[in-house]
Parts: sequence; structure tokens; C-alpha cells
Amino acid sequence: MTEIGLGHYLTLGAVIFSIGIIGIFLNRKNIIVILMSIELILLAVNINLVAFSIFLGDIAGQVFTLFILTVAAAEAAIGLAIIVVYYRNSGTIRVEEIDKLKG
Amino acid sequence: MIAHSIFFYTFSIIAVISAIMVTVSKNTVHSVFFLILDFISISCLFIMIGAEFLGMIMLIVYVGAVAVLFLFVVMMLNVAQQKNQWFASEASSGHIPVGLIISTIIFFELIIVIGGWKYKPDLFDLNNSVNNFSVSNTHSLGQVLYTDYIHVFQLSGMILLVAMIGAIVLTFRKRLGVKTQSYLKQISRERSEGVEVLEVENNKGVKFDD
Amino acid sequence: MEISILFLPLVASIIAGFFGKYIGDKNSEFITSGLVSISAFLSIFVLYQVIVNQYEENIVIAAWINSGSLDVNWSMLIDPLSAVMLVVVTSISSLVHIYSIGYMSHDPHKPRFMAYLSLFTFAMLMLVTSDNFIQLFFGWEGVGLCSYFLIGFWFKKESANAAAIKAFVVNRVGDFGFALGIFLIFYLFGTVNYSEVFQQIPTVVDKDLLFLGIEIKAIDLICLLLFIGAMGKSAQILLHTWLPDAMEGPTPVSALIHAATMVTAGVFLVVRCSPIYEYSPLILNLITIVGMTTAFFAATVALVQTDIKKIIAYSTCSQLGYMFFAAGVGAYNVAMFHLFTHAFFKALLFLGSGSVIHAFKDEQNINNMGGVWKKLPYTYILMIIGTLALTGFPFLSGFYSKDAIIEFAYLKGNTTGYYAAGIGIFTAFLTSIYSWRLIFKTFHGNYNNKEIDIEKTHESPLVMLLPLIILAIGAIFAGFLFKDLFISHSGDNHFWAESIKFLEPLSAEHPPTWFLFLTPCLVLLSIPIAYYLFVKNKNIPNQIANINKPLYNFLVNKWYFDELYEVIFIKPSKKLGLFLWKFCDGKIIDKFGPDGISSFVKRCSIKANKFQSGFIYQYAFVMLLGFSALLTFLIVK
Repeated sequence: MTEIGLGHYLTLGAVIFSIGIIGIFLNRKNIIVILMSIELILLAVNINLVAFSIFLGDIAGQVFTLFILTVAAAEAAIGLAIIVVYYRNSGTIRVEEIDKLKG
Repeated sequence: MIAHSIFFYTFSIIAVISAIMVTVSKNTVHSVFFLILDFISISCLFIMIGAEFLGMIMLIVYVGAVAVLFLFVVMMLNVAQQKNQWFASEASSGHIPVGLIISTIIFFELIIVIGGWKYKPDLFDLNNSVNNFSVSNTHSLGQVLYTDYIHVFQLSGMILLVAMIGAIVLTFRKRLGVKTQSYLKQISRERSEGVEVLEVENNKGVKFDD
Repeated sequence: MEISILFLPLVASIIAGFFGKYIGDKNSEFITSGLVSISAFLSIFVLYQVIVNQYEENIVIAAWINSGSLDVNWSMLIDPLSAVMLVVVTSISSLVHIYSIGYMSHDPHKPRFMAYLSLFTFAMLMLVTSDNFIQLFFGWEGVGLCSYFLIGFWFKKESANAAAIKAFVVNRVGDFGFALGIFLIFYLFGTVNYSEVFQQIPTVVDKDLLFLGIEIKAIDLICLLLFIGAMGKSAQILLHTWLPDAMEGPTPVSALIHAATMVTAGVFLVVRCSPIYEYSPLILNLITIVGMTTAFFAATVALVQTDIKKIIAYSTCSQLGYMFFAAGVGAYNVAMFHLFTHAFFKALLFLGSGSVIHAFKDEQNINNMGGVWKKLPYTYILMIIGTLALTGFPFLSGFYSKDAIIEFAYLKGNTTGYYAAGIGIFTAFLTSIYSWRLIFKTFHGNYNNKEIDIEKTHESPLVMLLPLIILAIGAIFAGFLFKDLFISHSGDNHFWAESIKFLEPLSAEHPPTWFLFLTPCLVLLSIPIAYYLFVKNKNIPNQIANINKPLYNFLVNKWYFDELYEVIFIKPSKKLGLFLWKFCDGKIIDKFGPDGISSFVKRCSIKANKFQSGFIYQYAFVMLLGFSALLTFLIVK
């Protein structure tokens, strides 16, 4: 237990990943929490990649993490922009009230 | 390496707890704060493990830009004022147990993968050169990024550009009631649209339907 | 020239049927009557050729089916048998056409009627001039179809529609047997042409077949199946129920179809197939029994009927029974002779009754008539002539033909023959009773009609009387003139030549003299008896009826055949149909077919609708489920 190996980091990544997944559908508050949960998932993936990169000595993992960071930032920006516009048009971002796709 | 493990466990426990609090807290602003805490602890973990460039970049980009953006939006949309119940009264709270079960399953599957790797060490093979600890993390990243991954690098720049344009286009509001010039319309006006010759009778005048 | 006999009625029917609206009623009547009359004259000419020059010919008009070993042609076979039938059919048909001009003068649909009559004539001619079973069947079905059209001519009347359908369906039962017979003939002989089949009959005399688990001789089976067809068409007992109801059609129809031509198609079939029937004594006995039972049954029912046309219809049924029983004892030529004379006097009786109905403004119940013999003199005299011929009054035509039948039955010598002769004599007695009952109740006694004043009843116009007169001449003289030709007592029937086959020549003897006088005496006696019962002392029939109420009811309800069939066949078929419709069709086929599939699709889509709730977290949840399934699958693999 005291010897921290790759497995511990991967476990940490798995836990955060699961928490992020739970957060997507278990929240009853608003859409922004969903976006935050997505960030958590991406974070967990980053942990995995960096852990592998360090323990296997391959720098490609960190390069990929950099790009994931970039994309996550872009996606968060767009997602929030959409939420803002949606709020402008419908006045609410509560999860239960967003059911325009209902059919 | 006792210190190593103490640090690891501290940071990871903080990360897990704040992740849970992101989803669970009633106040959305608190959720954002816990997200920031999460990012910071993971970034510390990265620095500890030896990927310091990445840790710093995470702090700058994630915490400094993305989380702040979240805060902006949360404040703008007045979400914090809505104190909602955690589980609203609908019938769809029925699938919460199912959801929990499914996520535990996913978690265990991920663990199984790790366990499988432990017993078969040659499951993964190396791609690039062995880690050269003589240079710093930043240096080594720089060596690879601008040579082997240059195309991906440029693409990510494009992605950022497109995202920026997209965000602006999405949220752009035209101000109503303001007269702007549209030079295209001005240039492309024809004589037939602009001038009309009328026969005016004496003492009668002309009626325009404007 | 002969082909024109066949096709002139068809042309007439097409012209009147399709163009009747444009050429007008009068023109359609003239064209159809004219063309059919030309056909009649030509057929008389052909018969003359056949008699004098022994003219015989098989004219192939066109090839029809040529498939494998089946070779069937549209052809016209002229031999003595078909020549006689040609004359009968075309002459009666032309007289009925002329009569209809007068009878249907108040009807708005004259061209359609004339077209149907001509079409019927064409189909009947096709039937009698065919040289193979398939064309015969074509004509058979054609006359059935035209009978349906004509019985249901006044289609707005519901009872007429029902009667037409009844006629068609009962005929169908017979046709089913007939078709099976034709199939069996093809199966055994590989051909359906008369000449080839008749040649091969002696070779299969001892062949046995297994039919529905019963061992039966092939020849017997063929004859039985063909006879079932004849039973249907000629209204023999068991398949007779359609004939009285067919009186719903106009009277000329009854005269043409149900007296002279269509119902005789069955007799024609049996006589035409005499080469086959001669080898099957079992079925010949059956035919005799069926024939005489029908004759007896119809005569008893006719005694108590009150509708004038129904009496004559049952009389036809009875006379057909006579014809069949003549064929059954092997005297085919006598059957044809009776057919020939019967056509004349039965048509005369029907058309005469039409004249009476016309005079009484469409009243058909004889209880509402009476005492008009002075007002309708011509009709009266002509009806009397017809009745005398029907009952077999000495020296009129019916005497020769009917008594010949009874003689030959007696001469046959076996039990069936004696029994048949006895019933034949008794039925002749009943025939004259009911025929004279009809005359006396219609023309004598008190005037019983409550609606029309006696002064208003008038004689029919000449256009209706002329055919009656011509028929009366035939009824009187046809027997005497043709008796030596058709039935030559010298034993060699050289007139019929090859068209009828006799395995052993008919007996050339004569029955004992007392026997010869028996029937005419009974017939003569019946006239005063009938007069007494129905004119002088009207109470006696009523008393007899009251004493024997069950017997009277039995007869009035036509021996309860209709009720019997209703219980055995009609109710179960209706129930079966209802069951098949409601349950099989509705619940099973529809449920697994269109209705079931559509409601299933609807239910599925309602369930699928729940997937699109609009809540994003539910969509994300589903994605999660899919992802976990994929992960599990990959790991387990």
C-alpha cells in the first residue's frame, strides 16, 4: 500500500470517472452541473494518461493530455455559450423543465 | 517512500471528496468551487509525479480559464438563487438505484482492466523514446510536440479558433433600434429601385404608400 | 349455313343488349325476334335434311383448347338428336320472343329482356350442338347464367333475387357432380370428345375405382355423376327446390326455360350419353326410380297449389320425371319424343296462363279467378287444347308420347319396370285431375276476383295469341305426325342412327290390350270427376282437406323439402360462414395480419415514445447503459 504504483493512479482515475458519470444523470439541479461532470470525466482521463506516460516513460501520453486540455476548454466554452443562449430563449436551465425534445 | 504515499493519499482523497461534492452540493457556486479544488489537487498530483509542465498548464487553463468561465455563467444566469431540492418529486427518481449500480459496474470494470494489466506486464508496449530524466518535463514535451505532433498541434489551434468563433456567433445579440449601414446594400442599389418618375397633376399632389 | 343458326341469336343478343338504348325498344324486339325466327326456319330446314337425306355433319368452328392430350374444339355436331333439339329450342324460343313483345309491353326494360332471351337461346344451342363435354358444359353453365338473369329480371323485387340465387346455387350442386363426371371421363379416356369417348366405353366395362372408400365400377360412377348434373338442371327430386321459386320470373321466361328448353337439357344429356348409360344397368335403374318418384311427388304437390304458374311448374317437374324414367328403362327415343311433344303443350300452357294473368292484371292465385270462359274465349280454347295434350287425351300428342313411356316400362319386364308403370299410370290420373282443376277453377264457376270488375277482363292482343295458336297446332299434331319417325314399333330405329345407342333393341311387342286402354280410360274419367269436385260441389275438396289435415299440410308445404334443406344445409352453412367470418377471418387472420400488425406497431411506437422524454439526463443515462454494455462485452471477450 505504501508503494504507490501505477495501479493506484489508475484507480484514482477510475473513481473520479465514475463520480463524473454519476453526476451526469443523478443531478436534479441544472445543466451546468452536467458540464462540470463532463470536466471531471476529462480530468480522470487526464490522470490516466499522465500516469501511464510517467510510468512507461513515453512522452506521448502527456502530449495527448495537452490536447485533451485544449479540447476540453473549447468544449466548455461552447457548451456554456449554448446554455446562455438557451437561457435567453426559454428562461430556465432547470433540468426538469428542459424537455423541448419531447416527442 | 512514505512521504510520497502520504502526499498521494492526501491529494487523492481531497480530489475524490471534492468530486463528490461537485455533484451533491445544493448551491451551484459551491459546486464550481469544489471543481476548482478538484483541479488544484490533481494538478498538485501531477507536479508530484513529475509532469510539472502539465500540472502548471492545468492550473492556468482549467482553473484560470474554464472554471472562471463556469463562474461567470453561473453568476449571469442567476442559478445560485435557485435552491432546488436534490431529488425532485418526479417519478424518474426511480432510476437512481439503477444508475448507481451501473456506475459501480463501470468502476469495477475499470479496476479489472488494471488488475489484468498487472498480471500481464507485456500488454502495453512502448512507443517513443524512454524518458530522459536529464531534461526537464517542459523540454521533453517541446522536443516532441513541434516535431512529431506538429499537425495535431496546428489542428488544436484550429479547434480553438472555431470554438471561439462559435461561441461568439451563438451568443451574439443584435441591438434593436440601431440603424447600421450595410454598405453592400448601398452599393448594389439600382436606379429602378431608387428613382420613380410620376406624373403630377395640377393642384392634386401625389400619394405615397410608404 | 348451319353456323348461322348458332350465331344469329348471339348477334341478336349483342345488338339488343348493348345497343338497345340507342335503337329503341321496338327495334330491339323486332331484331331479336326476327333473327331468332330465321334461326328457327333454318333449323327446320336442317331437320328436314336429316330426315330425308340422312344428313349428318360435324362442323368445326374453331379450335379451343389444345393442351397436352386435351383437344377441344368449338364445333357444331348435326345429327338426328341435335337436329331435333335445334328445332325445339329455336322454334319455342322464337315464339316466346314474339309473345314477349305483347306480354312485356308495359315493362320499361324490354331490350334487356330480349337480349337475355336471345343469349339464352345461344347458350342452349351451344349445349345441344356440341361434340364434346366441355362445350356442353359451357352451354350448361350459360343457360344456368341466363336463367339467373331472367328469373331475377325484376331485380328490384327481393323475392325474385332470392329465387334467382336459389336456382343458381341448386344448379351449382348439380354442376359439381357433372364436372366431376367430366373429369372422370378425361381421367379414364384421355379425351372429352363424344366420338372418342363412346368408342372406348366397351373397353373399360369391368374397371373398378375406389371413390371415397367405396369400390364402384367406373362406368357406374361416370353415369352417376353425370346424372347428378342432370338432376340439378332438370329439377328432379332432391334438387328440385328451385323450380317452383323460379316462377318469380316473367311468364315467357317460364315458358321458354322451365318448360321447353333448359330443364330438358338434363334429359338431353342422358340421351346423348346413352352409349355410356347402356353399360350401366344399376344407374339406369336409379334413373327410373328417381324419375318416377319425381313424377309422383310433383303430381301430388300440384294438386293443392293455388298459384297458376306453380301448378304448371310442378307439372313440368312431373313430366320431366316421366322423361327420365323413359330413359331409365332404356327407351331413349321415347324420352326424346316426349320431350318434343311436351315442349309444345307445356309452352302453350305457360303462355296461355300468361295470357290469363295479363287479363287479370297480374293476379296469379286461381282462387281469385273464375267464370271468365266467355270473356277470354281464345285463351280458354287454347288452354283446353294444352290440357288435353298434357293429360294424354287420346289422339293428341301427349297420348302417343306418354303412353309409349308407360308401355315400354311395362315391357321392360323386371320389377322396377312394373312398379314404374304402375306409378306412371297413377300419376297420369293425378296429372289430369290437377290440370282440369286448374281449368275449372280459372275459367268456370263464380267470378271470385275482388279487385277487378269482370267487364274489365279482356282477351290478349293478337301478338300474344299467334304464338299460342302455332303451339296449339304443334300440340295437336306433333304426336301423330312424328310418332313413326321417333318411335318406330318395327324395332329398327333407323332415324336415330348413331346418335342413340341401344345395346339390345327395344322390344317390338305390344303390351296386353287391357293395359293399353287403362290409361286413356282413367284420363277420360277424370274430367267429370274434376268437374264435380271443383265446379259443382266445391265443399268436397275442402272437407277432404279438413279431414286429412296433416296430409294436406304435407302436400301444401311441398313435402317439407325446403324446410328439410333449411335445417340440414342452409342453417349449418350460414353458421359456418358466420363462424369463419367472425372468428377465423376477424380474430385470427386479421389479428395476425393487417389489424394485428397495425395495433402492434402502434403499441410499440407508444412505448418507443417514452424514450423521447426530452430530458437530457435520461438520454445521457441511456448512453451510459450502452457504454457499460459495450465495456462488459469487451472485457468478457
